[in-house]
Amino acid sequence: MPDIYTTEWYDAVRSAINVGVSQLRSLPEGRFVVAVEIVADGRSPYVGEGARRFLMEIADGSCLWYRELQPGESEKAHVEGRIDYRFLGPATVFDEIAAGLVDPVDAALRGAITVRGDMRLLLRHAEHVKSLLEAYTNAVSTTWPLGRPPYAAVTSGSEGAVARA
Amino acid sequence: MRDTCDAVVIGSGHNGLALGAYLARSGMEVVVLERRHEEGGGLCTEELTLPGFLHNVHANYHTFVDLAPPQADLDLADHGLEYVRPEVQMASIFDDGTALTVHTDLDKTCASIARFSEQDAETFRRLYTEAHGYVNLLLGTLMYQPPMSMKELTRALSVFGVEERSEFLSVKLRRETIDTFLDLHFTHPKVKAHLAFHGAVCGYANDVPGLAMSFPLLVGKIDNWRLCVGGSHRLAHVLWRDLAQHGGVLISDAEVARIAVDGGRAVGVVLADGTQISARRLVVSTIDVEQTFLRLLPDGSVPAELTSAVQSDLLHQPWSLFSVHLAMSEPPRYAAAAFDPDVDRAWVVNLGYASTEELDADWRAVRSGRLPGVCRPNAAVNTLFDPSDAPEGGFTGLLRQIAPYAVGDGGPSAWDEMGHWYGRRCIEAWRRFAPNVGDGTILDWTPYTPADITRKLPNMVRGDWMMGEVSLANMLDRRPLPALAQYRTPVEGLYLAGSTQHPHGFITFAPAYNALQVIADDLGLEAWWRDV
Repeated sequence: MPDIYTTEWYDAVRSAINVGVSQLRSLPEGRFVVAVEIVADGRSPYVGEGARRFLMEIADGSCLWYRELQPGESEKAHVEGRIDYRFLGPATVFDEIAAGLVDPVDAALRGAITVRGDMRLLLRHAEHVKSLLEAYTNAVSTTWPLGRPPYAAVTSGSEGAVARA
Repeated sequence: MRDTCDAVVIGSGHNGLALGAYLARSGMEVVVLERRHEEGGGLCTEELTLPGFLHNVHANYHTFVDLAPPQADLDLADHGLEYVRPEVQMASIFDDGTALTVHTDLDKTCASIARFSEQDAETFRRLYTEAHGYVNLLLGTLMYQPPMSMKELTRALSVFGVEERSEFLSVKLRRETIDTFLDLHFTHPKVKAHLAFHGAVCGYANDVPGLAMSFPLLVGKIDNWRLCVGGSHRLAHVLWRDLAQHGGVLISDAEVARIAVDGGRAVGVVLADGTQISARRLVVSTIDVEQTFLRLLPDGSVPAELTSAVQSDLLHQPWSLFSVHLAMSEPPRYAAAAFDPDVDRAWVVNLGYASTEELDADWRAVRSGRLPGVCRPNAAVNTLFDPSDAPEGGFTGLLRQIAPYAVGDGGPSAWDEMGHWYGRRCIEAWRRFAPNVGDGTILDWTPYTPADITRKLPNMVRGDWMMGEVSLANMLDRRPLPALAQYRTPVEGLYLAGSTQHPHGFITFAPAYNALQVIADDLGLEAWWRDV
């Protein structure tokens, strides 16, 4: 089982995504770049300061690549043009989603995760999006070397860290 | 005057100015044309009563400023735009001396509701908390994107299982009225009346089928009412400033007589004085659909069936607003302050609607061309929150009453005879709740009737301040007509970006922002602006 947020884990997530979408009849055509920003919130041991940032490219529904950016590394080094979707939220929420403890749709509906981009496409391909989210949430057996969520009680200012980000 | 540019924008309301500024920042030479003597359209602020008393003639309540993309994209705060969000946002004052107040502090709002019904207070807390979580996500999806169909939308909600996750969102809401929603979840008539009143001030009548779909979102923004410091016109001014700083030109007193079409493509405009302005890339109309298609475009520019649909199928709000603007020497002191002192600090005040049935009866009356049986206007005193809008010691007052555009057989011109009489009735209604409002404290006042709305701003057809009915039949990809809902027109290079378009009027900027996305796609503009 890969450790969370390692190259092996990203590869496993990518494979899980592609297995999931291969079951779908209708997939979005074209290429889309998705950026994910997981912001330190004082609780997750996996995001100590600032944020972990990821990029993923989806082509005709399948995940071509999935990589983490190094601190200070520009998105432009990997992407020509515009980021199509951005997901932003506190680290604990993303950790809990990856651990299968929190439903990503619930997290978005309660405003814990911000989603930006062409929401029409996202809604028109709801089955595809759902499949991506399920791959992230449930499909990969993950180890948590620094501890598995849920974490200890909330420390002050965790929500504020995201609000300011 | 510039005679050739890249983009001509017809109309300098907030949508026209914002779109002009976006295009100018995208490197285009932009000309925005305004029929009136100044920019702003519905953002006009004028000294309607006495010198120094600044009255917001049309738009007074701005509820989307924090979500609307131009705020950040166009650096409006840097240009001097400032808003106040009053702590006591709204109040309903009832005939029996009780009152309900909505605060920026949820606990205080719930405490106020609990004085009528503890159960309703808990329901409101759950509804607000749920809606507050998804309001920005859903408004970003529904408002700041070119519209989807209701079918696509409900299908997606079903796939994501939203109905199972929510106490309040349901696919069934697309067929229900706000009244039905309120009856399903709330118990106390006054609580329901206040929530319905809030919807009405937003333009959502509580008895129209389908509008329940939007109600949780309205509640999610119920504490987000903001006042533009210096008057609503300040917003128009900062938009103009941004346009100008990026090379755009605003021309006032420039009535467009005709859109020039060559080979099926919009290539410019001709002004009423004969001046021709050529547009290399696009022409945008932000005025009403009727003028655009029936007056400005040459005959034969669009298919006959579209012309016919514009003539017969457009839906306008079947109700309008009668306003009274007042210059006062003191603010109202409500008798209901004995019950809840916060009513004297409330911004938007419902004077008397105590049940949804009372509102329903008035909707029926107004839609059939009659005045409401009992005058129950809403009141706002902006000076309580922005002292700059009146001379020292003075206060501006605003009363608004739902009213028909055409009264009985007299049509809209009947208002010319009735305006002062009905204005006095509205003031008397205010005095019933605030005894100090009267000859001793009112320095001057003037009525502003539904007929005045259309005379001043002809694009608000038949007093329709939302520039199109807010109803299921005129929503999303059906507004203003299915063939025009995606901001494009059959005339190449001619776009629609006014409040006639999805989502509707109000200071959302969404028509301009959404049209911008379509124009960017068509013209290959690089999107530098932020996603919602």
